Amino acid sequence: MSAANEQASRFDPGFAREFYALENGEYAKLCMQCGLCAVTCASREFMDLPPRKLFKLVQAGDKEAVLQSQTPWLCTSCMTCTVRCPRGIPIIDVMHGLKYFLIQQGSKAPVALMSKIFAENMLRRGRVFELALTNSFFLKAYGPVGAIPIALKMRSVGQPMLLKGRLPLKPPKKIKGLDQVHKIVKKATEVMKREGHQDGV
Amino acid sequence: MAYSFYPGCSMEATGKAYLVSLEAVSHALGLELKEIPDWNCCGATVSANAIGDLPQLAMTARNLALAEPAGNDIVVGCSSCYLNMAWANEKFKTDARFRSQVSEALGAAGLKYEGGLRVRHLIDVLVNDIGLDNLKARTIKPLAGMKIACYSGCQTVRAIRRRDFDNVEYPVMLSRIVEALGATPVPFPAAARCCGGSQQFTRVELIHELTGYVLETAAKNGAEAIVTPCPMCHMNTDVYQAEINRVKGTNYYLPVFFLTQLIGLAFDLKPKDLGFSFNVVSPDKLFAKHNIKN
Repeated sequence: MSAANEQASRFDPGFAREFYALENGEYAKLCMQCGLCAVTCASREFMDLPPRKLFKLVQAGDKEAVLQSQTPWLCTSCMTCTVRCPRGIPIIDVMHGLKYFLIQQGSKAPVALMSKIFAENMLRRGRVFELALTNSFFLKAYGPVGAIPIALKMRSVGQPMLLKGRLPLKPPKKIKGLDQVHKIVKKATEVMKREGHQDGV
Repeated sequence: MAYSFYPGCSMEATGKAYLVSLEAVSHALGLELKEIPDWNCCGATVSANAIGDLPQLAMTARNLALAEPAGNDIVVGCSSCYLNMAWANEKFKTDARFRSQVSEALGAAGLKYEGGLRVRHLIDVLVNDIGLDNLKARTIKPLAGMKIACYSGCQTVRAIRRRDFDNVEYPVMLSRIVEALGATPVPFPAAARCCGGSQQFTRVELIHELTGYVLETAAKNGAEAIVTPCPMCHMNTDVYQAEINRVKGTNYYLPVFFLTQLIGLAFDLKPKDLGFSFNVVSPDKLFAKHNIKN
């Protein structure tokens, strides 16, 4: 196969349709490639693809490039792009939809791990226990032995946090309506999946 | 004036100084803040990645449903909590499909929200309800000569895509408050720049660069301290300042205050009631220079 054919075979129009069916994914259709998000993004220097290019590749159906891009994981949800986009695309919401999809697919990105740990932590008591969040992340990301050098490297951060009482050792109390929270999340997940299919092209 | 109050998880842990000083200041101002009974975490922005946008916003809407019987505006101090609550509320009021989806989810837990509340950021309440004149009149020890970088943060001003709270590009309300307290806001083009948010564990280089830029801009413009309403901005600029100095070879020494800590100082409240013990970059030198007893 020639290089040009190999290139062409990467594009899959089916992927664009799959993407538009994600939660908030349909907004990617609206991108007109003006590039304002690209010059706006706070994390742009760390990104392999600016949001503009990511949307172009979605529209073209370049599944591999989109799914491997670091762009969604670098989005800090600062909303600068979202308030500036002339087409009104809520770009951070599109990124949420893409990250949700990638996490469902088993992504190993650090933000994927962090998001899962955060959600588990939050759903355990109805409120977040920050110390446990920190510990679970480092243990799961680096293992008990691997976490030690990281903790040492970051001691200028960790030590004062503990010494100044900014990481309380006691977890917050479980909220009374924890069961309500779980029911809401369960039902909303069902609704999201149901609506997702309706949104599909 | 009575409000429903949403503290959020950070205010009870990493941002404890905010809660402590807000309590002292609201008492002094006669602001009646009634905590939303049995409120739950708003999910920040990171949990949507794991559970989806709709479940996260529906969970946030539980807090709206719990607050509605009191009928008061909801006041939120944390910018990330404000982003989620204000956005969930706005979407509930303007997007019929979202309204029915969220109502269905709330209904599964026997709850109902009618959409009758307003969600307000603390800065909005201080400027528009309390008023700058009142803040000025209540100021006993003006922070005269204190040069402050007013760091509103990104999510604070961008939560609602309706521009009647503060300018999304050049926020001014925080500077107005600081002026009313007698201090001098320095020119600060990074006022609404992102600090890197919650990427401290997942991509620390992002914090080095983004928060580094905020610190650099503050220092370059002659600030002696930074003030912010956001627990995440506070954490990154205050707690990570030494780490940024270590990595970038800089030598910043900028105490970072929560907005309410500065207000409390100007109101001559007892410093011990304003949570300075939680500040990592010590404000002692700054206090000595301006004759403030800590």
